[in-house]
Amino acid sequence: MSKAMLIDTTRCIGCRGCQVACKSWHNLPGERTTFSETWSNPRYMNSNNYTRIIFREVAQPEGKLNWHFIKRQCMHCLDPACESVCPVGALIKLKDGPVVYDDYRCIGCRYCMMACPFQVPKFEWGKAVPLIRKCDFCADRIEIGLAPSCSTTCPSQALVFGDRGALLKEAHRRIGAHPGKYYPEVYGEKIVGGTAQLYLTPVSFEVLELDHRGFRTDLGNVPYGIYGREWMSKVPWVALGVGGLAVGLHYINQRRAEVQDQKSQEGKED
Amino acid sequence: MSEKVEKWYPGEGKLTTGRAILYVILVLGLISAVIRLFFGLGSTTNLSDAYPWGLWISFDILSGVALAGGGFTMAAAIYIFNLKKFEPLLRPAKFSAFIGYLVFVIGLFFDLGQPWRIWHPMVMWNPQSVLFEVSWCVMLYTTVLGVDIFIMALERWKKYDLVAFFRNIYLVLVVAGVMLSTLHQSSLGALYLLMPEKMSDLWASQAIGPLFFCSAVIGGMGVVTLESFISSWAYKRKPELKLLSSLGKGLGIVLLVYFAMKVTDLYARGATVWTLDKAHFFFYLELFGTVALPAILLTFSEVRNSIKGLYWAAGLSAFGVVLNRFNVSLTSYGGYRDFSYFPSAIEIIITLALIAGGILIFDWGTRYLPVYHSELSGKTS
Repeated sequence: MSKAMLIDTTRCIGCRGCQVACKSWHNLPGERTTFSETWSNPRYMNSNNYTRIIFREVAQPEGKLNWHFIKRQCMHCLDPACESVCPVGALIKLKDGPVVYDDYRCIGCRYCMMACPFQVPKFEWGKAVPLIRKCDFCADRIEIGLAPSCSTTCPSQALVFGDRGALLKEAHRRIGAHPGKYYPEVYGEKIVGGTAQLYLTPVSFEVLELDHRGFRTDLGNVPYGIYGREWMSKVPWVALGVGGLAVGLHYINQRRAEVQDQKSQEGKED
Repeated sequence: MSEKVEKWYPGEGKLTTGRAILYVILVLGLISAVIRLFFGLGSTTNLSDAYPWGLWISFDILSGVALAGGGFTMAAAIYIFNLKKFEPLLRPAKFSAFIGYLVFVIGLFFDLGQPWRIWHPMVMWNPQSVLFEVSWCVMLYTTVLGVDIFIMALERWKKYDLVAFFRNIYLVLVVAGVMLSTLHQSSLGALYLLMPEKMSDLWASQAIGPLFFCSAVIGGMGVVTLESFISSWAYKRKPELKLLSSLGKGLGIVLLVYFAMKVTDLYARGATVWTLDKAHFFFYLELFGTVALPAILLTFSEVRNSIKGLYWAAGLSAFGVVLNRFNVSLTSYGGYRDFSYFPSAIEIIITLALIAGGILIFDWGTRYLPVYHSELSGKTS
């Protein structure tokens, strides 16, 4: 069974321990940050920040502010667009769930960055010989039976690692048990064919204005790779069709010209 | 007029003002290319996580390949549709197509994060990737064009038995070229099938593959016409006006077909066409200024039979193809909403240098290879 992570944002306390744990495990450098209009820090995911907590303040009608903390990282789609577009197969979905990247295959074309519906893959723009970087779901830890470093470090059980089926069941159990507490949809259950990151939020992602922050809600339930695969499935037939048509038309048109030539010559002889 | 020509081209082979400018741009480009290789993409370009693809993808690759569509278009017209009268236009078309692809591959080399791994798609396969197919088609098609240019070189070296051998299997090359071009010209558009949510409604179409193919035919015919005029001016030759006006008629028809395809597609998808913003401005410019306008112009025989008229119509259509590629890849691409992109000086210089290099190779080639006339008497191909 494919592994997944249940991210219950109502349990998150916004400590950013997961950001630190991720940096520790992947040996990533820290970043000098500055104050900005948001509490989210760092401001963007990049080749040194595989995950970050988005801080959202949503004003209630009566004027009260509600805090929401939403973790962003690779969604580890069940059928990833990045895997389907990579011309050299550098991105692979593992049986356990992680979508991992092969440093030695990548040519640096950046099509995965363009195609990812969640805009997750990032490029090492600061390096002369850059590679793609993104959350790998701690594939090396999962392989030896450990949970990803972020969920291991989470103090409030907002990040629960486990089998996807079991976690989905648990997510729906929580929604059913606390009707007012959760928005009744699990983000990641169906979107783009399902992802390994399953989100429980108190309100919808649109209300949290996350649809412009990497969590689009207009993506549909079809994996994006299908569009490329549909195209590729036609390619051999188009090749055969065009090739056959070209050869056929060449001979037909040549013959037609010959016949016309003969006719006009015969006409002259008469 | 003749004075101007004298000034720019006092004699073939000598360093003239025009060539001197091209060489200066080329040298600047080479310096920029070295800087780009040593300092990396991040510090030399304005590309970012928000805009992973920029000027080089839009111009060097998408526009370049479309404009180099003249090779397969003319070959198809002459060998498959048996329109033998266009034969005088075939060699320059094939030669400029070959240079176009050469320049494209060099441009791609500098755009890749790991340029020296450009050969990886040959051995590392991912058959579900459209880009994988594009890279294979481009590799094979550039080879086909290379063989074609090699035949010209063989003619120059007077290896006539080898030339005769290639003439015998020439249909294979033509069919392969047409097939590979059909595939990768449309597949370059199909690259964008996977990102409808990041694109403006105006260009995010499921029909983008066929649209790219059709506009590549337009780009190819436009460039063949322009190239014929410019080289007849530069090398003081009489332009083949009768042929070109006949080609112009064809171009008008293809433009009409393309316009119909575009409108049908927009209507079928129910895209919001009538609004005023930046994207719509470029959209109107593309659809009306560079597709409809030249199509209308070419219906007039006065336009088709004058150098100036054909020049404008072909120029507009070729420009329209470039504009379409920029629209699809940059205007349309939303990316992150709080970022914008404009190419850096190094990006622009490298692109200009690729164009300059292309022109210089063409100039060199026309003097050393039988591009404008076959050296085998009576036979042209």
